[in-house]
Amino acid sequence: MSQYYTATDHFVLVPAIMLALFGCAILLFDFWVFPEPKQRKWLLAFLALGEAFAGYGLWQQHTYIAGQGIAELTAFQGSLVVDGFSLFFNWMFIAAASIVALMSYRYLEVEGEHHGEYYSLILLAQCGMYFLASGADLITLFVGLELMALCFYIMVGFLRSDKRSNEAAMKYLLLGGFSSGFLAYGFSLLYGLSGSTKLSEIGVAIARRDPADPVLLLAMVTTTVGLLFKISAVPFHMWAPDAYEGAPTTVTAYLSVGSKAASIAFLLRIFLGPLASARAAWEPLLVFAAIASLTVGNLAAISQHNIKRLLAYSSISHAGYMLLGLVAGNETGIKGVAVYVLVYTFTNLGVFLVIVALRREGLVGDNIDDLAGLMHKSPGYALLMLICLLSLAGIPPTAGFIGKYYIFLSLIQAGRYVLAAAAALYVAVAIYYYFRIVRSMFMSDAEDAGAMETTFGVRVAAALTGLGTLGIGIFPEPFLRFAGQSLIR
Amino acid sequence: MLDTIFFYLFALLTLLGAVLTITRRSAVHSAISLIVSLVGVAGLFLLQRAEFLFAVQIVLYIGGIMLLFLFVIMLVNLDRAERERQFSKAWWLALACVVGVGAEIAYFLTKGPAAFQFPPGAASPGVASAAAGGNVERLADALFSEYLLPFEMASLLLLVAVVGSVILAKKRI
Amino acid sequence: MQHLWLIPTLPLAGFLVNGLAGRRASKTFVNAVAIGSVFLAFLWTVKTLFALAPLETPHIERYFTWIASGDLRIGFDFAVDRLSAVMLMVVTGVGLLIHIYAAGYMAHEGGYYRFFAFLNLFMFFMLVLVLAANYLLLFVGWEGVGLCSYLLIGFYFLRKSAADAGKKAFIVNRIGDFGFSLAVFLIFVAFGTLDFGQVFAKAASLPVEHTAGLLTAVCLLLMLGAAGKSAQVPLYVWLPDAMEGPTPVSALIHAATMVTAGVYMVARSATLFTRAPLALDVVALIGLFTAVLAASIGLVQNDIKKVFAYSTVSQLGYMFLGLGAGAFSAGIFHLVTHAFFKALLFLGAGSVIHALSGEQDLRQMGGLRSKIPVTFWTMLCAAVAIAGVPPFSGFYSKDEILLAAHHHAPWMYWVGVITAGMTAFYVFRAMFMAFFGSYRGRAHAHESPLVMTAPLMALAALSLAGGKIDVPRILEPVFPRGEAHHSPALVAISVGAGFAGIALAWLLYVVRPALAGALAERTGFLYRLLYGKYFLDEIYDALVVRPIERVSRVLLWRGMDVGLIDGAVNGAGNRAQGIGGVLRKLQSGYIRSYAVWVLAGAVLMLVTVALAGGGR
Repeated sequence: MSQYYTATDHFVLVPAIMLALFGCAILLFDFWVFPEPKQRKWLLAFLALGEAFAGYGLWQQHTYIAGQGIAELTAFQGSLVVDGFSLFFNWMFIAAASIVALMSYRYLEVEGEHHGEYYSLILLAQCGMYFLASGADLITLFVGLELMALCFYIMVGFLRSDKRSNEAAMKYLLLGGFSSGFLAYGFSLLYGLSGSTKLSEIGVAIARRDPADPVLLLAMVTTTVGLLFKISAVPFHMWAPDAYEGAPTTVTAYLSVGSKAASIAFLLRIFLGPLASARAAWEPLLVFAAIASLTVGNLAAISQHNIKRLLAYSSISHAGYMLLGLVAGNETGIKGVAVYVLVYTFTNLGVFLVIVALRREGLVGDNIDDLAGLMHKSPGYALLMLICLLSLAGIPPTAGFIGKYYIFLSLIQAGRYVLAAAAALYVAVAIYYYFRIVRSMFMSDAEDAGAMETTFGVRVAAALTGLGTLGIGIFPEPFLRFAGQSLIR
Repeated sequence: MLDTIFFYLFALLTLLGAVLTITRRSAVHSAISLIVSLVGVAGLFLLQRAEFLFAVQIVLYIGGIMLLFLFVIMLVNLDRAERERQFSKAWWLALACVVGVGAEIAYFLTKGPAAFQFPPGAASPGVASAAAGGNVERLADALFSEYLLPFEMASLLLLVAVVGSVILAKKRI
Repeated sequence: MQHLWLIPTLPLAGFLVNGLAGRRASKTFVNAVAIGSVFLAFLWTVKTLFALAPLETPHIERYFTWIASGDLRIGFDFAVDRLSAVMLMVVTGVGLLIHIYAAGYMAHEGGYYRFFAFLNLFMFFMLVLVLAANYLLLFVGWEGVGLCSYLLIGFYFLRKSAADAGKKAFIVNRIGDFGFSLAVFLIFVAFGTLDFGQVFAKAASLPVEHTAGLLTAVCLLLMLGAAGKSAQVPLYVWLPDAMEGPTPVSALIHAATMVTAGVYMVARSATLFTRAPLALDVVALIGLFTAVLAASIGLVQNDIKKVFAYSTVSQLGYMFLGLGAGAFSAGIFHLVTHAFFKALLFLGAGSVIHALSGEQDLRQMGGLRSKIPVTFWTMLCAAVAIAGVPPFSGFYSKDEILLAAHHHAPWMYWVGVITAGMTAFYVFRAMFMAFFGSYRGRAHAHESPLVMTAPLMALAALSLAGGKIDVPRILEPVFPRGEAHHSPALVAISVGAGFAGIALAWLLYVVRPALAGALAERTGFLYRLLYGKYFLDEIYDALVVRPIERVSRVLLWRGMDVGLIDGAVNGAGNRAQGIGGVLRKLQSGYIRSYAVWVLAGAVLMLVTVALAGGGR
């Protein structure tokens, strides 16, 4: 091992290596070892193995950090850092990717698409997320972001015969590239301001500057634009409804939780790291973006007929709530964002899982009317959907309530009563459109009597999301403590 | 002195190419103008003694990417696009951006190097081993030592791009 | 340890068993599980209360830490004091009777197991609400009963009005919950805890002048929550519509238990309210206003359940009047007696509807006295109770409230008396229209089975004699009784108003039936105003619902989100043109406008920051 690749470097990199390795291996094995359609299940097993190895690496990091009693472990001259924050998010990515993979198998069968590339992209996208959560260097973060985004561009357009999917991928790609330009510009200015790409050094350099320095403001605004685009906050949200609707439903699920969580992690790293001293400048921007996201997200969702599009707007509004936690800025707020993202991951996956389970030959299942009478057809899935929608709306005792609880609490603790009141009022609006779905499920007769065909994987994923959503709501303690450890110190 | 003359020459080439790129109605003409602009940039790189970037600029951008552009443009029938209005209704926004960027450049020009106050000790950012060897060697050194991780990540990125282009392009694999 | 957790868990088990296995099980099994679980919960409540007697101080059981962050600890704790003991008895007792009744009433309905599963789930959440030892757990029950109410209102989901009513109920309640949740957060920030005991102890220990503003805000927000749940002005509009649900649901949830949760919550927070006199005044005013408003609407309604629904709103107003006047125990007293007689009225109405095969219109009834005598006599017991005829239950509780109101502000007493007169009038109007005169309908009337009439008789006994349960004395450890304000004259006046109302109804609907129609004609505008419920639904619709929908549809949907719907339709046509088509679309299409939005946002942010000079 040279000084540029030490044992520590390797230790920190193991999960990413595992993800990339298995991602590539699945690509090869797809046509090499398992060419028969019947052998596709093994690819899924390989993905699970990759996640298991990545999880093992992560667990070793976890125990090492806890055992040594240190706050963080840096590698690659400070480009990568393992701390509570990165561990928290990476565990979440493993959960999200695994659940998405579980629900994808049958979906891909119905769509008649290839399995190998798809699973491989799931792992490679997760590899990008790993760097987003653990990166502490502008270049690492940027390349990680592009790695993740590129995988998603491809996955969004994965249904080659579906024009909507192609169009969505094209839009997402072009707009994503556009926003990456902003981000790269902001990063280049940050580099110019500090002469370093390491977040810690940038932070020191910025703290020393006049907060009203125009160059600093320019760097801050362009960086903010790029980051807000990634979490689909208003006014940079336009890609989300189209991409969500056009993408294969499983990819929409992954996009809405994986990409969003990773981007939030990225955003927190930047705003609580190097830009922390310029808080006075970016806080109003985030307040504006948060309120605009809540308004547009919640109001536009009311008139949607397509569930995926509705959920896109709902996800925009959730981005608004997450931003509010950052705006509050106190410990409760940051912890609240972490909890919120965790809760949102399980809940949203649950909602999408039901839509995925509905998919079969001749039924897309993404229209609200497609859910009609689900209560009579398969009460289990209807109940899962109900629990998840209640959680999205933030009604106790589901997990969503805990997330919103912390956000509101942090706002009130920070003395931002107006923001808290506005955010709480939008919860009442949100119930309006979530309950359109509930009403369709519970309050109407089934239009077709076709039973849902599910596989073992889908049922396992359903159990996981349901348990996550209810479990975090009823026994939030361990999760809260876990999120509490994730605070960036 | 000669440097200055060459600088202005290349700068003029770059700007001229750029202006022609956005004003030509024919897509082919635009593409060729863009090549001119890129050649100008390559020249500027050379003036800065960045031989490697110069070569990359010529080989990749002009040799690879622009050629692909031209192929696509010629394959795809763009007659109708040519007849359409070339300026969109969002010209005010474009104007605002131009004014903004202009103001930014003006600020940097008047402020000079003071705009970017590098902290002492980071005077020559990036390449730490400023030892002997040409530009290419130093770049290679940096890539495989300090920037090893992003370099490897970029390789992964390229792999994904290749896989993606295959997936999206081929109807049946 | 008295294992309080068993009380709510029993109905929860009933819900799980019926929900998971009920579809394939027989009706007897479903009945046994649903009614049995509630019966056991009732027995356990009685046993616990006897074991804990005299229960002068709250008995608290802490199970596990629910949320902990920093020095905050919110536990999964249950507590019983005399207030919750009274509530427990009402909820489990009346709940049990209504469950039994429902077994008869719903016998011929589809989705039998689903109905009882939801009903048991409701019992679970309601008992959690009552037993909760902190505001957050109370909130859990609070939201849970709302959800069950939604599911049960929309039980007859094939009727569009039923589904709409359920949704309306849930959304209006969310507005109230918005206030409630903010109040909870304020309490937490101010006192650092949500535990009832600690919050009240801290509030009581702080000097009034320090906390007056804060407590007023907290209490007003709490009252907003209570107004949503207990259907008070301005959020009462959901309750009358909620009558779309099956009648046992109306009786249990929308008369006897859930809607009184707001009253319970305010009474529970009495320590806070007494330190915020302004908020207390607001409570009294809202209660009084609601009582008058709803009673006046109830005067002219023709749907038997609607009459009783407005009556419920009005009686809830009475309870808030009592609370606002500082007579918390009187409010709770009325809550108890109201649970008896209003549940009876609804169940009786259900029996009438059952007898007439679904007819709810009073104009299609008449002369049912001899056809369904048990229903008639039991309902009459409830009617005299609600009209405040001494010595029946309503008389005692209403009297307590009116006397307290007179002590608080005499004009409130007089308005209350007028309302009492109206109450007596509309109840007896309904009774006379249904049971006297000649039969105007077509359906063949038949008396309900014993499983339905037995609960009626039990509730009738309670309605008549319930006033003898001296609830205010029971509640003395919780709400110390001030000096009694006895005034025979005031009592006589209010009783007189009740008799006057009955007499007027007798005159208009039995002696001279033609007079009622003539009166309605004569007072055309007033009649239409009342019959149209002051057109408040329409006003809300025009002022709140429509504008939001229009913003969503026109501005956000057509204005900004033109993307895919139009795009897909247009795109389908030129699919054959392949890449060229896509490219052209990109050129003249939406990508550019999306990019413009991104750019415009960036410019806006830059300008803002530049003008603000870095936020200084």
